[in-house]
Amino acid sequence: MARVGVFVCFCGANIADFVDVPAVVEESKKIKDVKFAVHYKYMCSDPGQQIIKDAIVQNRLTSVVVAACSPRMHEKTFRRAVAEAGLNPYLLEIANIREHSSWVHQKDKKSATEKAADLIRMAVAKSIANEQLHAISVPVTKRALVIGGGIAGIQAALDIADAKIPVVLVEKSPSIGGRMAQLDETFPTLDCSQCILTPKMVDVASHPYIELIPYSEVMELDGFVGNYKVKIKKKASYVNFSTCTGCGACQQKCPVKVPNEYNMGIDKRKAIYTPFPQAVPNKPVIDANHCNMLLKGKCGICAKVCEKGAIDYTMKDEIIEREIGAVVVATGYDLWDPKPYEEYGVGRFKDIITSLEFERMVSANGPTGGVPVRPSDGKVPKTVVFIKCIGSRDEAKGIEYCSKICCMYTAKHAILLHHKVHDSHAYIFYMDIRAAGKGYEEFVKRAQVETGATYLRGRVSKIYRKDDKLIVRGEDGQLGQVVEVEADLVVLATAIIPNKDNPDLARLLGVSYDKYGYMSEAHPKLRPVETAKAGIFLAGCTQAPKDIPDTVSQASACAAKVCGLFSGDTMQKDPMISTVNTDNCSGCQNCIKVCPYQAITAEEIPVARGSKEMRIVAKINEGVCQGCGSCAAVCRSMAISLAGFTDSQIINEIVSI
Amino acid sequence: MDSEVKNKIVSIEKPQLEAPADWQPVIIGILCNWCSYAGSDLTGTSRIQYPPNIRIIRVPCSSRVDPWFLIKSLQTSADGVLVSGCHPGDCHYITGNYFARRRFLVTKKLLNFVGYHEDRIQFSWVSAAEGPKFAKVVEKVTQDIRKLGPLHLNKKENFNR
Amino acid sequence: MDYTKQIQDIAARLFSEGKIDVFVGYRSTGYDENQVPVIITDAGEVDKLVFNDRSVFNLVNYLKFEQTRNKRVGIVVKGCDSRALNLLLTESQVKRDNLYIIGIACEGVLGEDGRKAQNCLECVMPDAVVYDELLGTPSGKREYVVNADILEIAAKGLTERAAYFEDVFSSCIRCNACRHSCPLCYCAKCCIDQDSSALYNGSNTESSAFHALMTWSLHLAGRCVDCRNCEKACPSHLPLHLLHKQNEMVIYQNFQGHLSGLVPEERGAFYKYSLSDPDDFIM
Repeated sequence: MARVGVFVCFCGANIADFVDVPAVVEESKKIKDVKFAVHYKYMCSDPGQQIIKDAIVQNRLTSVVVAACSPRMHEKTFRRAVAEAGLNPYLLEIANIREHSSWVHQKDKKSATEKAADLIRMAVAKSIANEQLHAISVPVTKRALVIGGGIAGIQAALDIADAKIPVVLVEKSPSIGGRMAQLDETFPTLDCSQCILTPKMVDVASHPYIELIPYSEVMELDGFVGNYKVKIKKKASYVNFSTCTGCGACQQKCPVKVPNEYNMGIDKRKAIYTPFPQAVPNKPVIDANHCNMLLKGKCGICAKVCEKGAIDYTMKDEIIEREIGAVVVATGYDLWDPKPYEEYGVGRFKDIITSLEFERMVSANGPTGGVPVRPSDGKVPKTVVFIKCIGSRDEAKGIEYCSKICCMYTAKHAILLHHKVHDSHAYIFYMDIRAAGKGYEEFVKRAQVETGATYLRGRVSKIYRKDDKLIVRGEDGQLGQVVEVEADLVVLATAIIPNKDNPDLARLLGVSYDKYGYMSEAHPKLRPVETAKAGIFLAGCTQAPKDIPDTVSQASACAAKVCGLFSGDTMQKDPMISTVNTDNCSGCQNCIKVCPYQAITAEEIPVARGSKEMRIVAKINEGVCQGCGSCAAVCRSMAISLAGFTDSQIINEIVSI
Repeated sequence: MDSEVKNKIVSIEKPQLEAPADWQPVIIGILCNWCSYAGSDLTGTSRIQYPPNIRIIRVPCSSRVDPWFLIKSLQTSADGVLVSGCHPGDCHYITGNYFARRRFLVTKKLLNFVGYHEDRIQFSWVSAAEGPKFAKVVEKVTQDIRKLGPLHLNKKENFNR
Repeated sequence: MDYTKQIQDIAARLFSEGKIDVFVGYRSTGYDENQVPVIITDAGEVDKLVFNDRSVFNLVNYLKFEQTRNKRVGIVVKGCDSRALNLLLTESQVKRDNLYIIGIACEGVLGEDGRKAQNCLECVMPDAVVYDELLGTPSGKREYVVNADILEIAAKGLTERAAYFEDVFSSCIRCNACRHSCPLCYCAKCCIDQDSSALYNGSNTESSAFHALMTWSLHLAGRCVDCRNCEKACPSHLPLHLLHKQNEMVIYQNFQGHLSGLVPEERGAFYKYSLSDPDDFIM
């Protein structure tokens, strides 16, 4: 009694050039139960969808097959169209004859056509076995978690909080601010980075809707979109933040010196420290790996000089839990280690530094008073060579991709060098100059004209020492000559890489990551801030290299997505989940063992209606079940069926070929 | 549908089953939605070409695959089966592929024991970014099955065998 | 090995103390050495009970049926029998409190030909692993050996194997005695008998036998304890142990030496995983 409609799309020329669509329609008409078959140029367009809707009504169709592009593209679109015609949207099946036929069998029209016909056959068979399904409502916890307190995390947190949605902002280091707090001035405006960042940091700390949890890490995330539970480890700071006044006496007296991460190891900090003067919160923490008192039980000077008695060596790590509805991941970037460039003398010559080290030197709050100096002898360099693409675009030694920001910040460094050392000269070895943003090309021009910096198009083959100078030997491609530059200082624009903890965090959250460690977005063009896991979003360099304007845009986009998710009191959930037929369930509870979400529990029901004797059966929580089908596949009694992917439906597809 | 299928021949390896000159293997591919199906879509978007013998069935997770599907496929329409999922550790449903790969190994060995060639059912881990890998996997499986020959000969006329 | 007297005494005692409602044991047929299961309901019947090296059948199968459901049951179990019982307990099919288990430290039983049964020669755990009292001296866990028959069959070429099994499957008459006699086959409605277009139902073709036997052996994979109830019950004398031992071998060799039912509360091999499970067969 099935009445199936088949709608085959030309997709312009995408399908029509490689699959004989009219023949496929004729073939479909021969399938038993197919009562209507037609083709159209663009089935997803308004008129195309109208054809489907009219056909459903006029032919009293009981299910619909659309043969077009991948269901991952337009299944939602066609489901909506079918629903508007009064047919349950889950009685629609898509036959993927584009990504799986016309695009991959372009040299064999006959086979591509036969395959398309088979795929439609399979979809028809499945659609006949499909059942009507209805969306499920689940409650939603309106609180967001933001992981990472750099500019991406800060922007996302502020935007969400401004919408009066509570935010929990977790940051691994003692202060928020991230990489942007390490910058001196930012391209293309040469805004003082701290000046534009610190107001936002203060906003975060004082916002009534933001709970800032610094010096903490996410340990566990359970649940599903709208209903997550997160476990956060608050690392022991050994300083009571509410008592501490931030006077800094403890830091002055501490005898231990540790390489200062904020200044890229150029100078030292104490074991009790605030990362930088503008830190938020502006309270110190004790680095337990280097504190004499915590390691050996000797010292205790900071506690002695603290007038408020805020030091507490007995503090322990604390695990706290929060219920949240969505997560924004904003874990930022690290710098690639340029060690493989041995021919440049990396690690051997002191006067070769990375771009971030240079940035710290020219920063007013940096270790060298805002003036670049040679690490070897402390003298101010006059000739500085900048080398771009260190590690980036390098299949042999480094990473294949372009780090996007280095061309711009190298131009910026040329300008900053000129400002700080008026009689300096910059040489920049480059492969390309990528300045695609607003005001970017003009900025690079400015760098060239204002500073007189020499841009040399060519790679550097080697750097060697001559007396106290470094000789940089490379190519000037435009002149077709080998050149050697006598440098006082060499700055390497090293590739940026995602936060080293990304793979571990991704596994914890249940999202994918690519071979470099960047978290994977759901679709690179159309869904750049979502991940494949509903409710988890990405902002900033955690997803791909990008500059500050794009980072802020992406963070605001995440906030918009979160607000959309929280816009109702309940959320509609995909009904393709598993259910137990208790008649057949034998109560063995093996399904409970394989469920990744603990969605299944054992419950007792009467053995028969009215009976006092009880038996155990499995019960699936429809709110928690994510529809993977692990339980359905292990149930020997075939008591569990996964809506949308039942045994009947799949077997129908198999035998229809 | 059921009655058509019930009386088909038991299709364990029969070397006497000679392939006609124009025989084309039929391979059923069962792909998990989040990784392998997405990867196969990427193969399409990238216009990477591969042999047209595979017919893809989408499941939410490789753990949805009941060995029953594999047996039924070889018994009815398929000369070979490919099952593909996410790489271990990257399963969208966290643990699905860990359970699945145990069933896959036992099923493969059991089918081989009772007379199916090892290469009749094959498995792969293909991520959503591995468009080229999916094409290579399909090439290999198609080639292997072509060498092994058909399991079924009484098929519909419209598919050239 | 003869514990007839002890079992009769224990059964009598259990009945007189009102600790059990039924006792499941073995009795002689009276016309040959074979024994059959017996379920007695009072102390007056205890002299029917015997136990020796002809007490072959896995009595745990009877915990599936009406006669023992919701009753307090006394039962005799050998090593393999008790492993099946462990699995039934783990899978919530019986309640431990309802059972009084007499475990046997088994010395092996004899086959129809009067020689020690093959599964006893290959037994990994002859001593009962769950019991209220144990008869005999435990001899401990034994080294796992691969079943000799499956090695022989694996050594045949693919074509020969295919022909051999085609012959085997063609003899199956779908009587379902194997399911009925297997203690671990307890589903109220077997998946193969369900009214669903996806599944074969009881038809008598060669392919339905293949389907049924493949599915059944995979449902037992990681659970089967090699008691051979199935093979003894099969009227077509199908060598069913081949399928089970094959799966057992693959599971033992690849999944951390898993053998079913040895540890209480441990589930079958397919309901857990290890991060180091083999992957090299996957591209």
